[in-house]
Formats: sequence, C-alpha cells, structure tokens
Amino acid sequence: MNRSQSSKSAVATQILIAGSIIWSLLGGGLQILANLQLLIPMLAYFQPTAVFGYGRLVPAATFLLTYGWIGSGLLGVLMILVPRFSGIPFRHNHVLTFGAIAWQLAILTGLTQILMTGGSGLLSLPFGRTVTLILLVSFLVLGTGITRGLGGTWKSGPILPRLYLLGGILAFPLGLGTAELLLRGGTAPGGVQIITQLVWHSFVHHLWLTPMALVLLFQLLPTLTGRPTTSLSLGLLSWGLFFTLGGWASNSLASQGPVPSWLQSAGVVAGVLLFVAALGNTVLFQPLLEGKMDEIRRNVALRFLSLGAWSYLVAYGWMMFLSIPGVRQNTAFTVAWNANQSVFLFSFLGSILAGSIYALLPVVRNLGWPSHSSLLWHFWCTALGVALTFSGYALGGVLQGLALNDPGVPLSTVASYLCPFLVVIIAGQALWIVGQLAFSSLLIATLLKLFPSTAPMAVFPSSRTSGADLAPVRH
Amino acid sequence: MKPTRALAIVLVALLFTWIGQVAVGYLQVGKLEPVLNEETSLTNPPAPSGLAQTGARVFASEGCLECHSLSVRGPAGSADLTRGWGPRRSVPRDYLFREPALIGFARIGPDLSDVGERIKEPNDLMMHLLNPKKLRSTSTCPPHPWLFELKLAGPKNENDSMPVTAADWKQVVPSYKAKALVAYLQSLNLGYPLPEAPLK
Ligand code: HEC
Repeated sequence: MNRSQSSKSAVATQILIAGSIIWSLLGGGLQILANLQLLIPMLAYFQPTAVFGYGRLVPAATFLLTYGWIGSGLLGVLMILVPRFSGIPFRHNHVLTFGAIAWQLAILTGLTQILMTGGSGLLSLPFGRTVTLILLVSFLVLGTGITRGLGGTWKSGPILPRLYLLGGILAFPLGLGTAELLLRGGTAPGGVQIITQLVWHSFVHHLWLTPMALVLLFQLLPTLTGRPTTSLSLGLLSWGLFFTLGGWASNSLASQGPVPSWLQSAGVVAGVLLFVAALGNTVLFQPLLEGKMDEIRRNVALRFLSLGAWSYLVAYGWMMFLSIPGVRQNTAFTVAWNANQSVFLFSFLGSILAGSIYALLPVVRNLGWPSHSSLLWHFWCTALGVALTFSGYALGGVLQGLALNDPGVPLSTVASYLCPFLVVIIAGQALWIVGQLAFSSLLIATLLKLFPSTAPMAVFPSSRTSGADLAPVRH
Repeated sequence: MKPTRALAIVLVALLFTWIGQVAVGYLQVGKLEPVLNEETSLTNPPAPSGLAQTGARVFASEGCLECHSLSVRGPAGSADLTRGWGPRRSVPRDYLFREPALIGFARIGPDLSDVGERIKEPNDLMMHLLNPKKLRSTSTCPPHPWLFELKLAGPKNENDSMPVTAADWKQVVPSYKAKALVAYLQSLNLGYPLPEAPLK
C-alpha cells in the first residue's frame, strides 16, 4: 500500500476509532448517572425531563457501549489489520469513509431516539427502524471493504483469524436483518418475539463482537510475542462450537416465563460448551504469553491484549455459572447479569480493543506512543475499575437474588441491600472513565503529533521477522 | 479448509441457529390460540383495548422494563407467587396479544404481570405515575411528571385533572400517553385460567 492510499483509508479508520472513544466516554457517563439514581432514588424527583430518566439512561448507555464503543472501535482496528494480513489494500477509500461516517450517524440517531422519545424496549434492538437501516448500509460498505480479497489470499497466512472474521462479518447483517423483520415486520406472534430477541442478543455478543475480538487476538498475540499458535485442530473445534452454539446462549437469560423449557435447557448446554470453546482458545493463547511477563509489562499493547485474553475466559466462565439452573433461579432478574456485561464488554472486548489500537494505530499513522504516565493510568484505572464494577455487580446480584427469592424480605429491604454494592460499582465505573480519559488525551496528543514521532515505548518488536504480517504492504 | 467450505459452514450454522430456535419455537408457541370462555364469550387471555395497546408502547419506551419484569415464576409456594405478584405462573399463551412482547430482565421493583389486579383504581395508577410517594410514602419508583401537562385552570378544573396543587393557577392534567399507560397497566392481570396454567 503506498503512502497516499494508506492515509486515505486511514481517514475511515480514524473516524471509527475516534467515534468509538467518544461513545465510550458518553456511555460510561450515562451509566454512572443511571446508577446514581438507583443509589439515591430521590434524585429522580429533581429532574423534570424524560431525557435523564433511569428507563432511558440504561438502554442508551448499553446501546452506546455495545454499538458505539466496541462495535465502531473493533471495525476500525480491523480495517487497519485485515488489508495487511490479506495483502490486498483497500480501493474506493472514500466509500469506506462514507461507511464510517454512516456508522457514527447511526449511533447518534439511535442515541437521540432513545433519549428523546424512548427506546423500543426490545433486547439489543433499542433503536428504531431507521437506525437499523443505516447500520446495515454502513456495515455492508465496511464489511465488504474489510473482507475484500480474503478468499484470494486464504492460504497465505494463519487460518483461525480468517475463519472468525468470516463468521463475525456474516453474522451481523444476517442476524440484524432477520431480527428486524421478525420483531417489527409484524410477522412473529408474542412468544416467538421473545425467542427472537434472545437469539439476536446472542448474535450481537457471541457471533459478532466475540469473533471480531478473537480475530485480533489470534493475529496480534503471535505477532507481538513472536510465537506461532499451536494445535490448529483445537482452534478449529472451538471455532466450530462458537458458531454452532453462539446463537443459543442467551436462552439461559430466561427463567421460566414464556420461553419453552427445552430452549432454556439448550441455553444451558450452549453456555457450558461456549465456555469449553473459550477454554480451548485459552489453551492456545496461554503458551504465547508464558514467561513473557517482562514484555507484557513493557509493551502496553501486549498488556491490554493479555488482560483481554484472560477476561475472555472469565466472561464465559461467569456466563456459564449464571446459566446453571439452580443459580439461574436465584440470579435471574438481578444485577448479577450486569456483572456479565462489565466483564464481557469492559474487560474482555474493551481491553482487546485498547490493545489493538495501541498495536495498530502506529502502523497507519507512522507514529509511536510516548512512554507516558497516561499509559499506566489507562491500564490500572481500567483493570481496577472493571474489577470493582464486576465484583460489586456479582456479589450484589447474588445477594439481591437470595433476598428476592425469600418472600419474607420486602422489596424496599432488597433495594437497601444493594446500596453498598452500588457505591463500589459507581466508584469502579468512575475509575474506568478516568482511564478512558487518560487514553483519549494520549490518543489526541499522538494524532496531533504533539510527541516525538519515534516511540521510546516499543510497541512492535524491532526485528520485523515475526511481524511480517503487519509490515506495510507494498505494490 | 477452503474459503468456500468455511463460508458454507458459517451459513449453515447461522441458519441452524435461526431455524432451530425461531422456526421450531414458532411451531411450539407461535401456533397457540386464545381459549374461548363459554360463559362470557370473551377470550383468555383477553384482547387488550386499542388504548392499552398504545400504552404497551409507552411502557416500553419509558423503560419501565429496566426495573420491572413481566413474567411470574411458579410453582405454587415459589417466591413470586408468595409475594403476591400473580395467582399463577406466566406461560407463553399469556403473551399472545402483546405487541411488543417483553419479559424484562430486572427486578428493582415488583413484577407487574398482575398489577391491574393489585391496584384496581385507575386514579391510583395515574397518581403513581405522577408521584409514587403520594400513594406510598416509601415508594422508590421514579416519578414520570413528563407524562403530564400543566394547563391554565379555568373557573373549574378539568374532570381528569390530578388532585395536586400547582403554582400559578395551573392544573396538572394527564397526557394521552399517561392515559394509555394506565389503560395498559390496568389490562395487566393473570387472573384468568388457561388449560396449561389453571388458577390454583
Ligand atoms: C428505577 C427503577 C424503576 C423504574 C424505571 C420504574 N419503576 Fe416502578 N417501581 C420501582 C420500585 C423499586 C417499586 C416498588 C416501590 C415500593 O413499593 O417500595 C416500583 C413500584 C411500581 C408500581 C407499584 C407496584 C405495586 O405492586 O405496588 C407500579 C404500578 C410501577 N412501579 C409502575 C412503573 C411504571 C409504569 C414505570 C415506567 C413508566 C416504572 N414503574 C418505572 C422501580 C422502578
């Protein structure tokens, strides 16, 4: 890729990544506002507008964090990575720029809809039909751009990232289109609508976001550590499990109610097997990181990626734990499920996204990261913040569940049990935002080249032999 | 693995996901019909009024589901039933006329599947929307004042104006959305028997 081409496709990438950072700050802020209202219910009496009501803040924050922060960000880093591992540069860069802008427009429209007029109430589909349409058009452009030429160079590099990429890129439009038709096309009767929402919820998390993050892990960990992944067959097995069962996992969210019991059992089986698949992948990642503690400490990209890799296992382990029938009976309808969100979005996907930005942005912009205390702030605030949020939600949720299942405990008492945990959760979320602010200030300063462009911090090993896949492609 | 084969595997897996759950689910719960009550020649579950249908959308858009579930769990003696959240558990047929059909995933507040039976008086429900503390001083449900309008009071307040005082000779009148939401809350009750879920 020559210089001018790479800088043009970099526009789309930078829009996606900058958008991602902005949405993360906004989403995190809205989440704190919502939790403050839960902690101090009287606050609700002081705000006369619907916009900041709890019932609007929560879906708005979840939407921003899922589609805005993680969705936009992962697409952005994949746009840097994929042309380099496929060896085929992007053409029609202004079309990609259009796609990237359209994605941000969709997020902005969705956010405005949810805050101003209210969400749809549908799980993982809180926005209106216009937003679905813009998301689909944008994804068509970006997804085609990202996967273009993948088939032609299939044999020239590691297969696992390509397989996950293929699956993730197909799952989003096929899932969203079908969910939209079934839920708002007037075609599905009541009970089926509920099943459809659960399927779409699974699609978003296990068939779209997780595979995109795994592409990055499978490509970047070997590059950064200079060690290849072993055992292809184990990797293929995990991939197979993920795509066959990923769409079934959210059934374990339902406890009795209108979801047929065989589907709930299928959800439990899926939850267990997805954990097995995550375990399989961890067995592949672990040898890459073993004995590399010094490098992990020194290299901020590797640090975040290894945090992401371990959180991946924890996220699926926690999900499996929550889906066990005896546990689910207790934790259904409690904040224990929010613990899932904090480890899944904030720790697993968020760390992989941050690590990938640290590793990949220098490739497009020809710059490096300074060895700056902001890096440490970013890492430790993220790690500590997420640990606090996760443990607050997890313990609070289990306690809330036990209390809800004891009819002798009045609801107001259940709420008071949650208070100390909410304090911890809000503190964790605030810490996370501090980390994210450190990251964004560093990012802005780096993009504006306020630092010397040769990096004192080695993000890439100086010998390019192991990083061959990432070296700029020449034509 | 060839790319075409990988593509085929992914497509089959995604198809399996949709068909396995939605199509089979459709055969199982999508084909349910309401049960006719011979005495009243009404159906179980009862078909909601148009106003209640609108109210269901207000309920969804106000995010009441972020704190209230719409799904009661059995069996007899379970916490949900003992708490008085309904006379029986919810089953798929209960959701037949729900548009959108929602079950909610949080219980910061009580389940509302049977709230129309618990709070029978529409004025009470309306007051709960405006100021929950007026109904129960300890309630932590948030108020929804934006569902009400402030209008200049005439010589006499409008019939539906709320029994609260407002400054500047104003009266507080429920909006159409508030009326729809109350109609929806009133329509929420599980007090009808179904073959798969008899009353006790
Ligand atoms: C922040 C969470 C929250 C939100 C959002 C919320 N509620 Fe509540 N709601 C509660 C809590 C908590 C209670 C129990 C209050 C108590 O009695 O202490 C409650 C109680 C109620 C009750 C009384 C139920 C009974 O059996 O006594 C009704 C009716 C109700 N809410 C309706 C609504 C409606 C309608 C909405 C949406 C417009 C809504 N709530 C939004 C938390 C919430």
